[in-house]
Amino acid sequence: MNYEMICLRDKIGEYLCEFAENDERIYVLDSDLAKSTKTLEFQKKFPKRFVETGIAEGSAMSIASGLALEGQIPFYVNFAIFVAGTAWTQLRQAAYGNLNVKMIGTYAGMDNGKDGASHHANEDLTLIRSIPSVKILVPSNYKEMKEAIKLAIEYNGPVYIRVCRDIVPNVEFEQEAQFGKAVVVEDNGDDFALIYEGTAAKVAFEGYEALKEKGYNGKLINIFSVKPIDVELINELSSKVKGIVTVENHSIIGGLGGAIAGILAQKSSHAKLAYVGVPDVFTESGSATDVKEKYGLNVDNIVTKVEEVIK
Amino acid sequence: MIDIKQLKILANENRKKIIRMIHSANAGHPGGALSVIDILTAIYELDVDLNSKKRSKVVLSKGHAVAAQYAILCSKGIIKEEELDTFRKINSRLQGHPSTITIPEVDATTGLLGQGLSVAVGIALAKRNKEENEHVYAIVGDGEMQEGQIWESLLQTAHYKLNNLILIIDYNKLSSYDNVNESMNLEPLHEKIKAFNFHTIEIDGNNMEQIVEALKEAYETKDKPTAIICNTIKGKGVSFMENNPKWHSGGISDEEYEIAKKDLEKIEEELTK
Repeated sequence: MNYEMICLRDKIGEYLCEFAENDERIYVLDSDLAKSTKTLEFQKKFPKRFVETGIAEGSAMSIASGLALEGQIPFYVNFAIFVAGTAWTQLRQAAYGNLNVKMIGTYAGMDNGKDGASHHANEDLTLIRSIPSVKILVPSNYKEMKEAIKLAIEYNGPVYIRVCRDIVPNVEFEQEAQFGKAVVVEDNGDDFALIYEGTAAKVAFEGYEALKEKGYNGKLINIFSVKPIDVELINELSSKVKGIVTVENHSIIGGLGGAIAGILAQKSSHAKLAYVGVPDVFTESGSATDVKEKYGLNVDNIVTKVEEVIK
Repeated sequence: MIDIKQLKILANENRKKIIRMIHSANAGHPGGALSVIDILTAIYELDVDLNSKKRSKVVLSKGHAVAAQYAILCSKGIIKEEELDTFRKINSRLQGHPSTITIPEVDATTGLLGQGLSVAVGIALAKRNKEENEHVYAIVGDGEMQEGQIWESLLQTAHYKLNNLILIIDYNKLSSYDNVNESMNLEPLHEKIKAFNFHTIEIDGNNMEQIVEALKEAYETKDKPTAIICNTIKGKGVSFMENNPKWHSGGISDEEYEIAKKDLEKIEEELTK
C-alpha cells in the first residue's frame, strides 16, 4: 500500500472552525495549550466562543458543563492525559448529567514521546470507557476525524474523540463514520483479524503488510468507535478467523483489547485473542517512534502475536 | 413583591420540609441545609422564575444541602409534598445530591465539592454571549472552599469579569470534621475573595433584611462579580442542632423530630404574631 503520512492534530482547529461557522452553539475550551492542540485558529475566528481557562483542567471541564447547561456545544480540547486523567471526576459529573459536552484528547498514547511517561496517555480509553453514557471515537484519517466531530455535534450527550499527535496513513474509507461501526479496511482471508484504534493505524498497517509478506491472509479492521463498539462484527470475527490481535497506542489493560476480550469471554468458543499495546508498566522519554518500538507497539510484536494466536 | 416578613415565614416553612425529609430518610445533611436556607429562599423568591425558560439559575455546589433546594422546589409545586418522604430512598427522584436527570429544575448536577463555581462560570459566559440579563448563583460551602478547583474558578470568574455571576459562601464555620478553620484555615477569607477581584459583601446570612440588601447590591454591581460571604449558624432554627458539628450529616430520630418541629413552630408563632 502506498499512502502519505499525516497528523490528525493539525486539523483540529480548522475543522472546529468549519463547523462553528454555521453553528453558534459551538465553543472551544483551552487550558493554555492552544498552540499545541491547534485551536488557536478558533480563538482568532471566534474569540467570544473560545474560553481560555488557564492551566486549570478540572475547572475547564466543569465550565464546559455550564456551557452545555445553557444549550451550547462545548469542545474541551487538550492533551488526552489531562482530559481523561486530571479532569476525570469533572467529566464523570458531566456524564452523570448526560450533558452535551465534547472532549478532544490529543497527544494520545505515547505520541508525546519525548515528554516522557508523565505525559503519555496510555490509560485514557480505560478511564473513559468506565464512565456510563460517554461515547468514544478514535478517527484514523482526516475524513474520519471530520466525520467524528460531525457525529459528536449531532449527538446530544458526552463524546470523547481520541486524536493522534504522531503520524498515521492518510487512507480514507468510503464508509461514512458511525457510532458503533468498525471499518473493514482490508480483507484477504480468515487467518487472522488485526483490530486497531486510530492512533495506532501506522503500525497496524505495517504489521498487516508484514504478515501478508509472510503469507498470512487476514483482515485489517479499524475499530473507530470504541464505545459503543461493533459487537456484531466482533462476534462474527470470533467464529470466522483463527485468531484476533488488537493493536493500541494504549495500555493493554481496559482499552481496545479489554473491550474486545469482554465480548469474546462471554461466548462458549471464540478465536484466540492477543494484545499489542503497552504492557502494565510506565514508559519513558524518547522519540514517539522509539518509545513505541520499545514498549511493544511495533511490527515484530504484531507478527509474533498473530503467529501465536493462529498456531 | 414578596416582603421580608413573608420571606422569613417561607424560609421557616422550608426548614420544616428539610427536617421532614431528613427524618423520613433517616439520613441527609441537616446542618448545612438549615444554614443556607434563608439566602436560598430569598434567591428563588426574588430572582428565579421557574416558569420561564430564560431565567436565573442556581448551582448548589454544596450539593449535600440538597434538602434545602428540594424544600424550595416543593414550595413551588415542582416536588409534591408526599414526595418529600421519598428523599434518599430507592426509585425516588429526590437523589442524595442534586441530579438534573431526575429533577431538571435543580439546574446542575452537583455533589462532588469544588466543581459548582466552575459550572456557574460556564453558565455565566453562555448567558453573556446570548445577551441574557439573568443571573447565575454559585452556592458554595465554607468547607468546600478548601477545594483547589474553587480557587481556579475564582480566578476565572474575575478574569472574565462575570458580573452576572453571584457567589454565595455559606460560612457556617463547621465542616464534616469539626471547625472548618481548624481543619484548614480559610482566614482571612473576606480579604482573599476581595483580592481575587470580587465585589465582596459580608453579612449575617440568617438575617433576611441583610440578605435582601446584599442581593440588591449584587444586582447593581456591574464592573465585577459579587461574592456574598454569609456568616451563618449551622443547623439554624433547630435548638439542638445549632453550631453542633454532629449535625453535619445524619438521620433524625422520632424524638428529635418532635423537638425540631416544636422549635420551628415556635419561630412561626413569633413571625406571625
